[in-house]
Amino acid sequence: MGRMLLVSRLVIGDVKRRPIQSALLLAVIVTTTTTLTLGLTLRHVAKSPFARTKAETRGPDFVVETQPKPGARVAPGRAFATLLRAPGVAASSGPFPLAFVRLTEPGVDVPVDAEGRTTTPSAVNRPLVTAGGWVRPGGAVIEQGLANTLGLHVGDRIGLHGHSFRVVGFALQTEQPLYPECTPGLAWVTPTDAARLATPANPLGYEVDLRLTDPYNDWRFSNSAALTTVSNEPAWATLTTQVWEGTRDEDYRVVKIDQKALFVGGWLLGLLAIASIAVAVGGRMAEQTRRVGLLKAVGATPRLVAVILLSENMALALAGAAVGIVAGWLIAPSFADPGSGLLGASPVSAPTAITIVEVALAAIAVAAAATIIPAARGARTSTIGALRDPVRPPRRRPRTIRLSAWLPVPLLLGLRLVARRPRRTVLSAASLATAVTMIVAGLTLRYQLDINQQTHNAAGLMQGSAIGGRVTHLVFLLGVVLVVLAATSAILTTWATVIDADRSTALARALGATPRQVTSALTTTQLLAGLVAACIGIPAGLVIYQLAGGDVGKANPPLWALLAVVPCTLAAVAALTSIPARLGANRSVADVLRSE
Amino acid sequence: MMGANASVLSARELCKDYGKGSALVHAVAGISLDVAAGESVAIVGPSGCGKSTLLYLLGGLERPSAGTICLAGRQLERLPETGLARLRRESVGFVFQAFHLVDELTAHENIELPALLAGSSPRGARRRAHELLEQVGLADRGSHLPSALSGGERQRVAIARALVDEPLVVLADEPTGNLDSGATTEVLRLFDQLHANGQTLVVVTHDERIAATADRLISMRDGAFVDETRLVGGSPRSLSAMVGLER
Amino acid sequence: MRPDPASATEPRAAASASYQLNVVQEVLLALLASEPAHGYQLQARLQLALGPLADALNGGHVYVTLSRLEKAGLVVAGEIHRSDRPNRKVYELTAAGRERVLAWLEDVSWPKPAPAEFHLKMVAAAAAGLADPVRLVGLQRHQLLSGLREAQRAVLAEPEGSVAGLLLEGVVLRLQADLRWLEQCARFWDARKGR
Repeated sequence: MGRMLLVSRLVIGDVKRRPIQSALLLAVIVTTTTTLTLGLTLRHVAKSPFARTKAETRGPDFVVETQPKPGARVAPGRAFATLLRAPGVAASSGPFPLAFVRLTEPGVDVPVDAEGRTTTPSAVNRPLVTAGGWVRPGGAVIEQGLANTLGLHVGDRIGLHGHSFRVVGFALQTEQPLYPECTPGLAWVTPTDAARLATPANPLGYEVDLRLTDPYNDWRFSNSAALTTVSNEPAWATLTTQVWEGTRDEDYRVVKIDQKALFVGGWLLGLLAIASIAVAVGGRMAEQTRRVGLLKAVGATPRLVAVILLSENMALALAGAAVGIVAGWLIAPSFADPGSGLLGASPVSAPTAITIVEVALAAIAVAAAATIIPAARGARTSTIGALRDPVRPPRRRPRTIRLSAWLPVPLLLGLRLVARRPRRTVLSAASLATAVTMIVAGLTLRYQLDINQQTHNAAGLMQGSAIGGRVTHLVFLLGVVLVVLAATSAILTTWATVIDADRSTALARALGATPRQVTSALTTTQLLAGLVAACIGIPAGLVIYQLAGGDVGKANPPLWALLAVVPCTLAAVAALTSIPARLGANRSVADVLRSE
Repeated sequence: MMGANASVLSARELCKDYGKGSALVHAVAGISLDVAAGESVAIVGPSGCGKSTLLYLLGGLERPSAGTICLAGRQLERLPETGLARLRRESVGFVFQAFHLVDELTAHENIELPALLAGSSPRGARRRAHELLEQVGLADRGSHLPSALSGGERQRVAIARALVDEPLVVLADEPTGNLDSGATTEVLRLFDQLHANGQTLVVVTHDERIAATADRLISMRDGAFVDETRLVGGSPRSLSAMVGLER
Repeated sequence: MRPDPASATEPRAAASASYQLNVVQEVLLALLASEPAHGYQLQARLQLALGPLADALNGGHVYVTLSRLEKAGLVVAGEIHRSDRPNRKVYELTAAGRERVLAWLEDVSWPKPAPAEFHLKMVAAAAAGLADPVRLVGLQRHQLLSGLREAQRAVLAEPEGSVAGLLLEGVVLRLQADLRWLEQCARFWDARKGR
């Protein structure tokens, strides 16, 4: 008990003594766990969004649509009676009147089936309203996929066969695949309006929705006697059937592209996380070695030393993990395309229990790694060795030193700072390169989709744009998250560099360097990393893009756009790092030197 | 004011406080000082009396809580950080107790650093570094790293570094604090040379030897000056008397 | 009234009788151990060994000591007749003298380490209220500092590897030690005053 108290006191004391360093480490861990959580969540495809939508909307297993020949007279109740009561049918809805119309709006002219529905909820196929309300006279509810593609809003005025209707809502359904995978699109109106929309040339059709006792044998139902009877009715001009598996497969075809993009994005986020944590842990390990020496010098056994280090790192890691998981939880839904055609169709849901466990394990692994190495090293080296030479002595590079003498002061100091600790710069470059890679991949994709859209527009098809729009949206969001995380990482790395270079910069200022020169020097170290990152990131981004979305096209964005990434990266890095650099450069020189 | 025109460094009612409330410490409490050109001043006192703080204030490495400092005709307390940095470059050479040499630079590179920071050409800076290294008697150790030099040699390199920009005044904070007796003598010899060449020196020290050879010896306690002496050397006869060689 | 430093040597001269170098005799004997020598040669060798401190021993002192040694039977003086120079005595060690030298070399007693006299001075002053001990310390400190200044100057003036320089270093270090003790005295007596 006494030992636990001692350990906790030492841990709390250490955290309080160096609040900035502890806060930095915590920030990095939070960033990393958020990244990890998002990455893992994105990779887990939501289970069966189609199944959920179908359950919510009481979607049909089997749909029959018919249109009579012009001039033919049909009594819907009698025509479908046998079908509705056929063996194998568990429940049914309809027949609903179906008008085959064209939806017109400024710049739009698409074929749409207008289904007549009452306000009474049906037993099968109950569309789920996602915005606005259900049908009313003069109002049309638009299927979600169609609404997204056309960019409609509730309250818009549209024309159906010339008749003016107002959009009163959007809804989800699973009777047919999402527009534009399936044309014509779908809209719901009142039965009266549907009847109004029929013309002699284009008479009113009928739709029947069935739920089968055995959904998985719906194919067999296709061959059933009841259906054959209905289809043999001479009055029909067309009769189409749709099974639910067909709908599902079509829907998933769309979703799969999202998944691929998000999968790659998830991996990139994971890489960025690893790069950041490596930097933080690397810095931490250096301090820990000295602490190990101190603890040993006052008589702690190697086991107690390990316990103390582990407790401290574990506490920070778990705290950071908790915050990161919550943050990931909160951010993930923004990846959900609002109102995509399926409930939760974007493959992002709240982090599952597995994800939480994975993230927590990762945090613990990091804590363990950050502990084991210094503890092991401490056990091996002599106490005096650990105390006297706490940090790896800086490397000496005579050529760099000689070269830097010819450069202006900020570059002189910056170059020498980089030469002292090349590993830190490399890690910094790695995390920045990851961000640049993703941004370039995203840019390329965007460029590709623009081209596709133009091509498709020319051909009168809007097919590419809906999918493309969604993927671009996702890629854009991913890019934003990556940029934010990379920016945080850049600031944190700069902070770590500033603290590490404390003594050097204080000495430089004591010898006559102005704070502005020192700030520029610190910024320069990060700019060098940024330059390397940009140079690596551009080709890497193109490669990643090919790997992820190679089926979208082969052309690359214009060279000027790619080259523009370099100065943009440098400008961003300079802006981000100038804040901590400036703060570091204005601290009191005497404080730093005196503490030696 | 005495010798105002010849005064290189002068301070009036200098104060520096740390902490607040019950933990308030008056590190320097109302010190006034004038240092004439070519003078060597030694400040002695027990540890914690504020000597180092005073030196940092005089060199512009710390800002005073109150009072004025005039160095080379400029008021330090009014200058921004950039101005202080420039002033340090041109007028002040600092020597620290812990040497504060850059570990990965050779002696030459350490010495030429302030010159490079001030904008000298690398060749000019290197030439000056050579000269100074000769002056401190380490001409053959120019390409050694600090880890390969003894304590006394390191401090001599640090002194050479302080001289590279031809400062008006050299401020030394416990220059022999980390040195043994032999190394202290080396440093003493160097200070003696500098003084003979007309360099103004202000040294904060524990070491009685350095204190005894200064022109002015100021005692400090609890942040204030308590005593000032101008020592005159005795004759060899009095020295012999002290040692026990007497008729 | 504060005595000025110059005159301070006068009263000290009286007290320094107890600081006399009693070993001039032994030193001269030792210098004769290698070979016989004239008085002026011995003088020169002493000069070499003591550097600036040798001024205290003027020529007369050496010759007086030599004649004492002769009377004690530790040296014998011979005369050399030279045609071109006036006669000078050459001194030589006797067997008794050699024994004396060896005994002196083997002797490991060290001079008194602590300045008991000064300490007693302060105690007496404080007890009798005759003078302020802190002031006394200040005066003594000033004196020693002047001496230290001189000694340090002398050290720096000596060439590298000089024998006299070694002695001077010893002087410097001793004075330094004394000054540190005086610092402690000042603190002690100052605190006493405060009560």
